[in-house]
Amino acid sequence: MKHVIIGAGAAGITAAKTIRERHINDEIVIISTDEAVYSRCMLHHYISGQRSLQALSFVTDDFFKDNNIKWLSNVTVAHIDTKGRQVVLECGGYESYDRLLIATGAQSAFPDIKGLSGTLGVFGLRDLPDARAIAEKAVKAEHVVILGAGLVGMDAAYGLLALGKKPVVVEMAKNILSVNLDSMAAAAYQEQFEQAGASFKLEAKICEVLSDARGAISSVELSDGEQLPCDLLIIATSIRPNVKWLESSGISLERGVVVDKYLTTSAEGVYAAGDVTGISGTWPDAMSQGETAAMNMCGCAVAYSDFIPPMKCTMSFFGIPTLSVGRFIASDGDEVTLRMSKDRYEKVVMRDDIPVGVILQGDISRSGYWQYLIKNQVSTAGIQKPIWKVSFADAYSIESNGEYKWVL
Amino acid sequence: MKRIMIETEKCKGCKNCAIACMKAHMPDGVPFSLTDTRLEARNVILLDKDKQYRPLFCRHCDNPSCIKSCMSGAMTKDSATGHVYYDPKQCAGCFMCVMSCPFGVLKPDRATKTTVIKCDFCKDHGSEPSCVKQCINQAIHVEEV
Ligand SMILES: Cc1cc2nc3c(=O)[nH]c(=O)nc-3n(C[C@H](O)[C@H](O)[C@H](O)COP(=O)(O)OP(=O)(O)OC[C@H]3O[C@@H](n4cnc5c(N)ncnc54)[C@H](O)[C@@H]3O)c2cc1C
Repeated sequence: MKHVIIGAGAAGITAAKTIRERHINDEIVIISTDEAVYSRCMLHHYISGQRSLQALSFVTDDFFKDNNIKWLSNVTVAHIDTKGRQVVLECGGYESYDRLLIATGAQSAFPDIKGLSGTLGVFGLRDLPDARAIAEKAVKAEHVVILGAGLVGMDAAYGLLALGKKPVVVEMAKNILSVNLDSMAAAAYQEQFEQAGASFKLEAKICEVLSDARGAISSVELSDGEQLPCDLLIIATSIRPNVKWLESSGISLERGVVVDKYLTTSAEGVYAAGDVTGISGTWPDAMSQGETAAMNMCGCAVAYSDFIPPMKCTMSFFGIPTLSVGRFIASDGDEVTLRMSKDRYEKVVMRDDIPVGVILQGDISRSGYWQYLIKNQVSTAGIQKPIWKVSFADAYSIESNGEYKWVL
Repeated sequence: MKRIMIETEKCKGCKNCAIACMKAHMPDGVPFSLTDTRLEARNVILLDKDKQYRPLFCRHCDNPSCIKSCMSGAMTKDSATGHVYYDPKQCAGCFMCVMSCPFGVLKPDRATKTTVIKCDFCKDHGSEPSCVKQCINQAIHVEEV
């Protein structure tokens, strides 16, 4: 059996590992535009110079050799011939497959802004070439603007602050990190970012990008008319599953590649996993989909169960760790419990005794059970304890092999 | 693989395991102290709703959620021992493993909040867990599973 995997990110690498664990003799080929295996989640540490390319890798140096995997790096797939069961490479060659995994991730999506298209000095932050270009440009850049104060935008700001830059972050919402945090938790980070030299334009949009005679960005104009000088603009507003190249393949596409619960696509023998499915946009979900798809590619039917994952994230800017899972904005009928002290902010949103959202800021020690409670909609009605004291201890059970199990 | 087996009914909550763990993981040049935040136990004893002791020790799971959320390659399962090891130098301190452990075993380190506190099965002590040696009630023991 020959498995071809397109993409060497979280989903692709996890899938390859999973196939190898199950089938020692199957042929595995990974094809990636990426020239190296690196964790996108650490690209801002590359921009800041805190990590080399090698230190961005999330596999061992001998990963491909040890696992007997053929890796075509720096190679882009142009087309899938689903009838002939082969992928056509941009450089001309092709690779045949018995099972194919599409794990091509996502790309930065640029909003439609007047003057943006084709202007020099404008970058997304998704791939290594983006991080390289930003790092190179940042050497001389004096006026850095970041559009979007989501996790990627704030990562970019964090990396650039470490280089001594003073980025201005423009954000449409009322607070930074608005998808992940409520205004209280976001304010704690905003203050730290400001103290470090960043500034924020909230409830603002860039309506025009202006450039000089060479076509290089010179300023941006905000919706209220304010002009900000700018020689480096980073766009971090959203991502889009990497599916444009698949349009000629006949594989069903919506926002992402359409998959069933076994992560199979509409084409026989073709699977998809990770950001390219549009199910989620997180590293753990990409790994988990890569694993599930691989099991199915190996002929072992395993259903993926996490099609509507709750929002979940952790972050740790300026040494303040935060965990946020689920719906943290209360609606009518929810019960909200808050706890605050000098260095801590904690909030739980409950609906009918079921935790639906949590934010823990300042101390996230041993807090992993929150994701379990929220994802599995566990009712805490039978536990006569304040919600802060509820933990796995209240559902504690041990299996015969010594592993823990939730029993409530 | 070897796993620390727990007999909760024998646990009296004495926390000898925690102290043994702190002592087994003292950073170079840091003397033992109960209050120095640089010394931390990887284990903890929780109380359940009926005031029962519930020892929380890393299981080195067969299918570890911490590894399945690690974006830096810092968490790995050793193919020989089956234990889940953590490399603080490779870790980027994102704490997705803390969020993903369904039992709430993991935590950021208290002193710097940049690394993760994680059981290493006392691999620097001959892979004989110090907590087990110090448990006076034999509530924990090592077993091949
Ligand atoms: C700066 C930044 C910070 C982030 N921080 C976090 C975080 O803290 N937590 C979190 O959960 N997530 C984070 N993410 C998101 C996370 O990185 C993604 O969810 C994850 O990488 C998705 O994995 P994937 O395998 O689906 O895709 P990707 O990692 O994007 O990999 C896609 C692969 O496909 C290849 N490819 C694409 N098209 C082709 C083609 N036509 N031919 C050949 N190869 C192709 C690419 O070269 C690449 O190897 C962050 C992302 C960024 C950019």
